[in-house]
Amino acid sequence: MNRYTRAFAGPLGAIALIVVLMSLAMIVAGTSPIDGFTALFVGALGGRNEIGETLVATTALLFPALGICLAFRAGLFNIGAEGQLLVGALCAGALGAALTVPGPLGIFLMLVAGAIGGGMWGAIAGWMKARFGANEIIATLMLNFVAAAFALELVSGPLRGPLAAGAETAWLEPKYWLPALLPGTRLSIALLFALALAVLLQWVLARTVFGYDLRASGEAPEAARRSGINLGRITWLALTLSGAIAGVGGATIVSGELHRFNTQLSPGYGFTAIAVALVGDLQPLWICLAAFGFGILESGGLAMQASAQVPKDAIHVIEGLIIFVLAARRYVATRVEGTLP
Amino acid sequence: MDASLSLRGIRKTFPGILAVDGVDLDLYPGEIHALVGENGAGKSTLSAIAFGEMRPDEGTVTARGTVGLVHQHFELIGRLRVWQNVLLGREPHRGWRIDEGAARERVLAIAQRNGLEIDPNAFVDSLPIGVQQRVELLRELDRDPTVLLLDEPTAALAPAEIESFFATVVQLAARGTAIMIVTHKLQEVIAYAKRVTVMRHGKVVERVLTAQTSIDAIARAMVGGAVPAVAARAPTELTPCLHVKDLCAGSGATQLRDFFLDVRGGEIVGIAGVEGNGQSTLADALAGLIEYTGIIERSGTMSSIPQDRQREGLVMNWSLVENALLGRQHRKAARRGPELDRMRARADTQAIRERFDVRAANLDVAVRTLSGGNQQKLVVGRALIDTPAFVLAYNPTRGVDVGAAALVQSRLMEARNSGIAVLLISFELDEILTLADHVIVMYRGAVLGSFDRDAFDRAAIGRLMAGSS
Repeated sequence: MNRYTRAFAGPLGAIALIVVLMSLAMIVAGTSPIDGFTALFVGALGGRNEIGETLVATTALLFPALGICLAFRAGLFNIGAEGQLLVGALCAGALGAALTVPGPLGIFLMLVAGAIGGGMWGAIAGWMKARFGANEIIATLMLNFVAAAFALELVSGPLRGPLAAGAETAWLEPKYWLPALLPGTRLSIALLFALALAVLLQWVLARTVFGYDLRASGEAPEAARRSGINLGRITWLALTLSGAIAGVGGATIVSGELHRFNTQLSPGYGFTAIAVALVGDLQPLWICLAAFGFGILESGGLAMQASAQVPKDAIHVIEGLIIFVLAARRYVATRVEGTLP
Repeated sequence: MDASLSLRGIRKTFPGILAVDGVDLDLYPGEIHALVGENGAGKSTLSAIAFGEMRPDEGTVTARGTVGLVHQHFELIGRLRVWQNVLLGREPHRGWRIDEGAARERVLAIAQRNGLEIDPNAFVDSLPIGVQQRVELLRELDRDPTVLLLDEPTAALAPAEIESFFATVVQLAARGTAIMIVTHKLQEVIAYAKRVTVMRHGKVVERVLTAQTSIDAIARAMVGGAVPAVAARAPTELTPCLHVKDLCAGSGATQLRDFFLDVRGGEIVGIAGVEGNGQSTLADALAGLIEYTGIIERSGTMSSIPQDRQREGLVMNWSLVENALLGRQHRKAARRGPELDRMRARADTQAIRERFDVRAANLDVAVRTLSGGNQQKLVVGRALIDTPAFVLAYNPTRGVDVGAAALVQSRLMEARNSGIAVLLISFELDEILTLADHVIVMYRGAVLGSFDRDAFDRAAIGRLMAGSS
């Protein structure tokens, strides 16, 4: 296989796999796959509002998936995007509730706050790994729980909005809302930011010296070290940037969608994004497509439950299976190549 | 006399490669038979088939008795004792408990019978390479093989260890064991083997009695023509380049102790020594990869040919172009604005490909698909393309075939002739004696002696490598 057919086989194979697995899940749930898929696609793409919701989910998945992509390409298994996204959203929400500057500047500052918050959360794991050799999988995973507890504590107390019913910050003033992209829906221009970021990331990885160093560190750390790349620097930089991208994603959920921070703002976007990044073959532009596919699953799943009696949890079962099969596929691929003389 | 091992019409293909193509081979009791050929000629596949590790597509393997195989890379468990390694899986036991006393006695008995000296209680980790090989050999001998296959058995041994190793092998053969040695050291073939089989492209191209042939004739048969000569040594003007004094680094057996050397532009300095005497520590200290005390002064730029090309020198999934940039990507000339200059990288890669004869379908294939020799030529080409002031070459021809080795050695000689300072660390004494202007013998991390080219003394260097002066 040359690299073009490989690039196609990855995502297309994954999509075929999704379809087969979903059909099986629907049959098990007692629905014909045709009815199930119809309900799914009508629910996800059947109208202006449906498309809007699908793209909202796409955006929410795309930011953390791009962050994860950057870390994975550096050989760092950042599974802390959920926590990084949450801290970014918290920083943006807390800042936004207190701002008294012009609208566009306020939005910009909120996004920067999101990047700093998420970046800081990623940097903690990066520092632990670069300085003490801590395992980044455990560090990033555990920081998710720290982030959730930390956010709950703050919005239950000092940051809680004066009129809030639950653990929430105060509402943002409408001038700090990201402008709508599709009027009448909750979709904001955050989608455009995410797509631009994907293009930027693709360029950085493929064309720049930093991207080259980062990929070398991920593919062959020993060769990278000997070529003059400072692996410790790449480690903390990659995890910081990875967290910052997820954090900006959190900020856009606050500013573009919910208009305040609450602890329930992510139904596990940071975890689903791992599957998105892998289905997208860790290529930013393919990840955009994968995020759209998972966006359809996320928003169409609810409609599928209502009209075709397929439980929404089936979607999460499928997402889990996809991660599992992809991991197995990579393992099988290396084993097959490894048997050559 | 009946053959102990008989291969008939062996054929084996791997996807896209015909590895062994219709080979017959008979090994007779008491015979030492050498199997030689370039990398990829099919030697390893044939020995794996003879050992029963791999099944041929066609042909038959008939063995009388058991077949033993001593691997090139030892397959020992370092944290276990000698007797545990030798008897692994065949431990004598009383009930469900291993009978340690009987085990030790059994190992001692095999060792004595074969004239090998060994302490059955020693931990394998603590033993020198030559003794570890003895352990590997004992493990096979415990199974009382009628056929013994030895894959590059002397690759990691000092000259003195090689002699004592072959004394054992000759003794084994005298007692009726059929022995096949896979090797690329042709002196050993002539000195110890009775017959030699030469393979090229999966076929047997020659099979003769060693008494009726010569090193040159075998080498010609291996490459299928004249062996390319190494470029000639030209007179050069020496300029100071690298000065190392009182260098201490690392720890344990490979610790550097007050190491010193000077390499001048226009000369090749060779470090002779048995593997594991601190060569890697020296290379890492010179490359600035580890902490050290003492003086390392260098004028001008440096590039390296690392020891393990696949792990330390290449990104196996990357293309030739991307790999040709590795270690050079931080130079100003490699960039255009924030981007890597891709046109230039391609042009450089093409230049390396032509000058160093890197055989690849195109510049965009993954280096994983290249043969070891071509991978190595890429690594060497990359180290020399920017004409550095100093080149550190660590086993630059390890595991590459005769043709590629000659090309690499020629390019290093030409680099020297053009005024570059070359430090050659090699476990192959012949390579050092061929290339170096000056030899330093390294033993347990220290300088044990040094020789100028006009005073090279192979025997004396060999003795120093083994630690005796």
